[in-house]
Amino acid sequence: MKKVIIHLFLIIIFIVIYLLQAIFFTNFTIAGVMPNIFVILVLYIGLYMGGSMGTIYGIIYGIFIDLWIGRNIGITSVCLAAIGILGGAFDKNFSKDSRMTILLVGAICTVIYEVASYILQYLVLGMNIEILVFVRKLLIELIYNILIIIIIYPIIKNTGYEVENVIKGDKILTRYF
Amino acid sequence: MEKDKKSGIIGVIITIIILILLVVFTNTNSESVSIIENIANTVVVPIENGLTYLKNKLNNNDKFFENIDELKTENEELKQKNSELEKSLREFEVMKTENEQLKQQLNLAEEYGQYTTVPGMVISRDISNYSKTLVINIGSDNGVKEKMTVIADEGLVGYVISTTANTAKVQTIVDSASATSCLTSTTRDGMICKGTIENESTLNATNLAIDSKIIQGDSVETSGLGGIYTKGIHVGTIKKIVEGTNKTDSYAVIEAAVDFQKLETVLVITE
Repeated sequence: MKKVIIHLFLIIIFIVIYLLQAIFFTNFTIAGVMPNIFVILVLYIGLYMGGSMGTIYGIIYGIFIDLWIGRNIGITSVCLAAIGILGGAFDKNFSKDSRMTILLVGAICTVIYEVASYILQYLVLGMNIEILVFVRKLLIELIYNILIIIIIYPIIKNTGYEVENVIKGDKILTRYF
Repeated sequence: MEKDKKSGIIGVIITIIILILLVVFTNTNSESVSIIENIANTVVVPIENGLTYLKNKLNNNDKFFENIDELKTENEELKQKNSELEKSLREFEVMKTENEQLKQQLNLAEEYGQYTTVPGMVISRDISNYSKTLVINIGSDNGVKEKMTVIADEGLVGYVISTTANTAKVQTIVDSASATSCLTSTTRDGMICKGTIENESTLNATNLAIDSKIIQGDSVETSGLGGIYTKGIHVGTIKKIVEGTNKTDSYAVIEAAVDFQKLETVLVITE
């Protein structure tokens, strides 16, 4: 029952984040740059629910984002799935107790997602390459995402372990050895 | 433990304040608001208020407010009247916005009267920083098909890339993957206008002919080449000409006629 509630919650939170990105953050920008909260959400799933769950959610979220606003289906799915896998890998290798670790992991994932997405868009859609502008925008987006992670870190930490206990159950790796 | 929790909350609050300040300062037009002026006002106004109060006390001007009960009743009545007026004003604002939108649609239909068009509203904008597509509230049920040209009151918006029954996705001309074949309206010089990821209001005009005589401020319109856009639709004006190391490197910066950040109403040219 608890698992069903968690999955339902993840669907609702996805819709809320989509609406926030499409309506609120298009105006609430830092120098015209929006944050990317989907990366944080998929990373959260990967970290606390495992790499496979992160990948599945990354693909599903990506398909919906591409269906709603994307140019073609696939690019966002692939990039978000990669973040899910990375989340799973970080889960096995790092402690999630430290705020700094979560911040660094969030920053790394934001950079990887945007660079992969930009390269794929260049290859598939023929997007123009403007490296300097891209780097400037990416840095601002990175700062924005880090600020958001700092703000929501207490929620990530408190709900994360609850979710981990319900989803992983007996398979949970010992955290404090 | 309690101390850690407290410092955590303080940290979050400080971060929220920093984020809001960053958003406000990076989006404020520095020319219109003088920070120094604001700071000066913050310092001076309370002192001025205090001095005025003191002056009133000394001159017995404050005795003017002796009948407090009467004033309170009057104040209540005025407050009520004010809230009623505010309500009427809000209703008026809603009507005014509706009226403006309808006028805009009418103007659009008149300006591009030679085309059969379907009016639509922008319902969603791109969530990425690196692409600029839009979703409009008309789709295949309204006769909208892929590769149809989308225009606004001021000029060209883009073209339809996909449709559902009730919505259509539009790739704007300022999208980084977009390239539009254009002509200058006076000298008839050809160029390719490409979107950039830098901002939502300019395009880079490349592939300029070596003998092109483009001039700053000249109007740019679609050439009709490429099979997507109809000929003669206004795209924007030449803002700047950037000379390269040789003639083939030169390009022009085009200021898009449409304000994509405020775009609400569009027309899809169906025929």
